[in-house]
Amino acid sequence: MTTARNLSKVGAVIGVGQSDYVSDHARVLAGDKPHDSYGYAAIAFNKALADAGIERDEIDGLIVGPTIAYERTGEILGINPRWGSQADAMLAVIEACMAIQTGMAEVVALVYGNDQRSAAIQYGGPEAMGGNMFLSYVYHAPWGFTSQGALYAMMFRRFMEVTGCTEAQLGEVAVAQRLAASLNPHALMRKTITIEQYMASRYICEPLHLFDYCLINDGGVALIIAEAGRAKKMAEKAATRKKPVLVHGVGRYDLNRGATSLEPRLLDFYRPAQEACAEQVFNMAGVEHKDIDAVQIYDSFSCHVPLALEGYGYCRSGDVGRFMQEDGISLKGKLPVNTGGGHLSETYMQGWNHQVEAVRQVRGECGARQVEDCRFVHYNSDVAGKAVSIIYGT
Amino acid sequence: MANSQPIISMYDQPMWESIRAHGWKLQQCDDCSSFRYPPAPNCPHCLSMSSTWKALSGKGKIISWVIFHKQYFDNFPTPYNSVAVQLDEGPIVISNLVGEEPQGSWIGREVEICYGEDSAIGTVPKVRLSK
Repeated sequence: MTTARNLSKVGAVIGVGQSDYVSDHARVLAGDKPHDSYGYAAIAFNKALADAGIERDEIDGLIVGPTIAYERTGEILGINPRWGSQADAMLAVIEACMAIQTGMAEVVALVYGNDQRSAAIQYGGPEAMGGNMFLSYVYHAPWGFTSQGALYAMMFRRFMEVTGCTEAQLGEVAVAQRLAASLNPHALMRKTITIEQYMASRYICEPLHLFDYCLINDGGVALIIAEAGRAKKMAEKAATRKKPVLVHGVGRYDLNRGATSLEPRLLDFYRPAQEACAEQVFNMAGVEHKDIDAVQIYDSFSCHVPLALEGYGYCRSGDVGRFMQEDGISLKGKLPVNTGGGHLSETYMQGWNHQVEAVRQVRGECGARQVEDCRFVHYNSDVAGKAVSIIYGT
Repeated sequence: MANSQPIISMYDQPMWESIRAHGWKLQQCDDCSSFRYPPAPNCPHCLSMSSTWKALSGKGKIISWVIFHKQYFDNFPTPYNSVAVQLDEGPIVISNLVGEEPQGSWIGREVEICYGEDSAIGTVPKVRLSK
């Protein structure tokens, strides 16, 4: 395969911010609507700006999440960028580094807001029916098969058959992430659960249980990524500023052939994309699996975790059930995964909150859930055909 | 809640006509002979624009299955199954297994296409275990 040109240590995260997931969720559950998607984005942006300790006018790049309109967001935040784009969380980080590397921008704001809970967005069923232009699974509506969860349930059923991984072993994901969330003041679900409670929870789409599904809540997340040299000078100039967190490597490889008939999912479990992506990201970062202190995995459903652990090479193929159960993926285990609680227990911010957690772990700001001597955090996601990987580090 | 409806692009229409006639057809590429699903303007393998609608053998194997316990549609009361079937012609289709259900794993079980009537959709291809 071709080698991606180097984006290693081109960009550094200098600021992160988020809305108050917990209090906003409580208000939404009580029938209130604190903000819309733009409001959440604006809150997160302001916090990221304060965290970075820079002025708004130092920003010359803007990337906006898929849930809000680019031009309107730029208008609300008062930003005229040299370069701008619209992208999901993981591609936004990669695009920011690409813009910086090519000189199109030097300080890029990445902004996301979503009022999915208060707006009662459904990710399955009749309201997903308009999605046929970009979500291929609604094609199967005549057979009652349209939800994202069903897609992953179908994938995981076959994975269990092929690898011998069990439902109880999959439960390790929900249990581990709830433990992390219990130590995270930003997490919505902070009551720990046991494997027994997991197994006793109801099925939504069998073999997936309630605890295998992500939360649906309102919120916003923002990151500010600056050219690494400038980030370093900024931090030196104001000693009170936080240490920049470097993007050491990125990777991407997609599988689109046979997507609607689920071939890449059911026959390959996205494995070829994950392997290609892993090779890129580890080569670019110049680190190995043993150097990674924590892993963040996009977890709209728990089964993303075992699929990714095998696909990105954290355990032998076919061994992930045993790996999760015996070696452990919680903060107490061998490989801490989704240390903030992830989408299952912290907040569903479509991958954006995982970037913030990665940055805070590298900065050592995570308090009770801090991974000791955390130097490198690997983020990866496998959503709608795209496999994307990022390694953050000191 | 509402009923589920098929996505029917201009390429899907001949397929649904063949389903209504209880003889499910898919496009077979005139150049490389591969079958196409979903129906599409060109062959994803060789990019040929040329194809012929051919009736399926009606045979396939289950490669995965799920049971829905949450209801999303009026015309799909729970619990119900969806199965992924690899047709003998190659493509993987999603369907519902009707009639007798296998004990234990469903994966690898041979199935054949049959036709069901949905009050909202009309004729829909289903599968049942091969005798």
